Amino acid sequence: MSNSSRRDFLKKASALGLVTATTPFESMLQAAMRTGAPQSGQSIVCIYLRGGADWLNIIAPYKDKDYAEVRPTLALEKADGLVELDADWGLHPAMRSLEPLWAEKMLAPIVAVGSPHTTRSHFDAQDFMEFAAPGNRTVRSGWLNRYLAESQDKDSSQFRAMAMQELLPRSLRGEYPVLAVPSGMDKAKGAKTLNRFEEFYGGGAGEMPAGEMPGEMERPEDAAGIVKSGKVTIETLRRYQEILAKGKTEVKYPSGRFSQRLAAMAKVLKAGEGLEVAGLDYGGWDDHANQGAAEGRQATRLKDVADSLAAFCRDMGPKMDSTTIVVMTEFGRTVRENGNGGTDHGHGGGMFVIGGGVKGGKVYGDWQGLKPERLYEGRDLQVTTDFRDVFHSVLAGTFDFKVPKDFFPDYKSKKISGMY
Amino acid sequence: MGAMRDRAVHLLSRLSFGPTEAEVVRVLEMGEEAWLEEQLAPGTEQDERLLALMPEFQTLDFSTARMYDWLREPFDGRSDSELSAAERTELQKRRRIPRGEMQRAVFARSVMSSRQLEAVLSDFWRNHFNVSYTKGGPADFLITEYDREVVRRHALGSFPEMLMASAKHPAMLHYLDNHLSRRPPSKQELAEIERRTRRRTDSRERGEEAAQIAAQRGLNENYARELLELHTLGVDNVYKQKDVIAVAEALTGWTFDSSREGGWGFRFRPEMHVKGDKRVLGRKIREDNDNGGVGEGEEIVAMLAEHKGTAEFIATKLARFFVSDRPSESIVKAVASVYRKKDGSIPDMVRAIVAHEDFWSPEAVRSKFRTPFEFLCAALRAVNAEVFDANRCLGALRDMGQPILHCDDPTGYYDTAESWLDPGVMATRWSFALDLATGKVKGVEIPVEFFDDLPQDVPRLWQHHLTKRLLPGGAGQRTRNALSTVTDEYLTKARVPDSRELGPTLVGLLLGSPEFQQQ
Repeated sequence: MSNSSRRDFLKKASALGLVTATTPFESMLQAAMRTGAPQSGQSIVCIYLRGGADWLNIIAPYKDKDYAEVRPTLALEKADGLVELDADWGLHPAMRSLEPLWAEKMLAPIVAVGSPHTTRSHFDAQDFMEFAAPGNRTVRSGWLNRYLAESQDKDSSQFRAMAMQELLPRSLRGEYPVLAVPSGMDKAKGAKTLNRFEEFYGGGAGEMPAGEMPGEMERPEDAAGIVKSGKVTIETLRRYQEILAKGKTEVKYPSGRFSQRLAAMAKVLKAGEGLEVAGLDYGGWDDHANQGAAEGRQATRLKDVADSLAAFCRDMGPKMDSTTIVVMTEFGRTVRENGNGGTDHGHGGGMFVIGGGVKGGKVYGDWQGLKPERLYEGRDLQVTTDFRDVFHSVLAGTFDFKVPKDFFPDYKSKKISGMY
Repeated sequence: MGAMRDRAVHLLSRLSFGPTEAEVVRVLEMGEEAWLEEQLAPGTEQDERLLALMPEFQTLDFSTARMYDWLREPFDGRSDSELSAAERTELQKRRRIPRGEMQRAVFARSVMSSRQLEAVLSDFWRNHFNVSYTKGGPADFLITEYDREVVRRHALGSFPEMLMASAKHPAMLHYLDNHLSRRPPSKQELAEIERRTRRRTDSRERGEEAAQIAAQRGLNENYARELLELHTLGVDNVYKQKDVIAVAEALTGWTFDSSREGGWGFRFRPEMHVKGDKRVLGRKIREDNDNGGVGEGEEIVAMLAEHKGTAEFIATKLARFFVSDRPSESIVKAVASVYRKKDGSIPDMVRAIVAHEDFWSPEAVRSKFRTPFEFLCAALRAVNAEVFDANRCLGALRDMGQPILHCDDPTGYYDTAESWLDPGVMATRWSFALDLATGKVKGVEIPVEFFDDLPQDVPRLWQHHLTKRLLPGGAGQRTRNALSTVTDEYLTKARVPDSRELGPTLVGLLLGSPEFQQQ
């Protein structure tokens, strides 16, 4: 995305009253333009829609007759207010707030993307995707954790990676320590809790350094690293709280857990503390029944996701140039709707890649159509783009990371042509 | 470790969900060996509070068949398609009841049961032979019977018997997809499917489509692989991919009755079975013609149970669980040898572990990091809490990443520090500890005597009394100093010191202290 289009995006956002009129962004941006200095602090935001989101109704081939035929009640059409992206594709009407990102060429949807593995089990598919090793059960580290481990050096920030939730998503699990932010830590009670325990974990008034208790043998809690882990927890969470307290949210986010977590994430990213990878899950996409079309259960969730992400991008402002958001799910769903107004576990799905560095405004992926003979096992979308190629592109495009040969076990990954 | 009391504390730290003063005294009075034998022998529940709680659960004793009937009781035997939308929602709600009862029962037993070793071993085997509610579908109502008849029934019994029971239980067959595994359909069968679908839908296209889909069905290696990798030999130990396939072939047809009439039990379906001899780990498994093929799988499961590799793998896991994250070769050897001599007797393996010098070595004491589940159970036991409603505790377990019977991975939850000691998680424990101690965990109560029987006239001693109760292994200087700071702060402010005010704070801090995170 060029700088002028970035400004256009921000201008439109402020016209809508969604961004404060004074723009520290613009001055930052101008400074960057003047000096030509690279924006430091690249980052990836990994959003996982758990449950297998029905991508065929997120980016819909709405002009395809087969689509309307196999989805008599679920198919979206122009009259639904669907956002026409190009001659073939329409964005779900509930996701209209992403339209400016598309217009500014920051949004790159990928269709028919997924895993070559045949599983239709949520847990296998999520494992295989987040560990980026389909069919391989011995790999137990996430693709983002492997990146962190591969690229670390002694000056690496304590804040390189965090999950904005209590538990690490599998993509962040592994040998590299990643902070999982427990709930309630941004509140006063959370701060009080940390203060309470500080002295117990070798900080604060006691000034007893961990593992160096005078006159005592090393105690088991020190030997096992518990005291140290507690100390790191206090330090990082406290710093996290400071960042939250100091940080400003430039736009109005929707209410709800997902968007509030994104707002907190944006503060940390903008604080320039070296956060490179942030993960956040959104559950509940297993729409076997009463999925709804332009309105309904899936639409409600899609609106929340889209409005939250749009707010996040506006909030991030120029920082979006160095940020990539990846939105993914474990598999697509059946092409044909089932008898319960829903869809079942399928195969090929979709992804979004969003960012200033992304060459968006174009739908990626090799689309084979919906004719039965072109479908996988006669019922699901074929996977024509391996998700690992997307991961590869995102890592290379965001961090200039040279993906090592065995990074994806038994798979020779490649960049997706023209995405960055 | 010399002092008998320290030994009792250590024994209870590992063989129960946390020492309590009463249990320490009991071990000292009976002697370690008698206590161990009592816990290893079959026995009945003695804890009054737990006994009083159990009648609240209605589905725990159900067979799956009974459970299925119970689920559908309000709907007079009508099938799903005949239910209204409201009734379907009602059925979904009802389906969540067995799960909730299971989780609450597992938690309540772990905290309160007088059969502590049985509860601890159940936790171990529940993870070893993991099944999960996250699998969805019939898992909702299959797991109750599985946990009772496979896990708890054999937790203090024979490993080979538990292995066979797990292999034949619908919950496991479903969780690891073995019920879907079958020989590929023959040409005639595909033609038949096509013909039938065409007739039914009056569409040639749909008929061909149905046949195409059917042609994809075949062998599912999921269970066979985990049987070798997770249940018996350990990852890449002895077996190769061709063994996985041979085991999967032998186990084709191991499925279950998914109907009310069939009773939801194990069922072998010869028509799904791959015919012919199999070769597993270099041994020929002769085709079982007499019983349509079920004998092949039985022979393999029995063979795996007898395998040296299985003895070593189970010994390693038990030693890691009870002794140290990195068990020595010596203890693994000792336990594996008992496994082989005593046909996989679980009590004999536990005896061998406790008899081994490693168990009592100073390096082993308090070296195990408590998993979230162990932490919660130990915390509630330490304060003698009564659990009326475990829901908040179950929620805390979810926040800490260890919801009961919800481990997606067939590995089960890990029991080593590296899996749980991430930055961030400690804060969740601290919040819970303070909430629990200050009465903010709904459904859980600490008896007031806990604070009332502190020496009311000497508030400075409260921290020592409470430390002795909650950290029977003792507190380090750092923790003692930190507690003093809190006591000092309180005493400068409080006009009349009240043990019901300061006591809970001290307890919360002790439960969140570094020492309490270990066992």
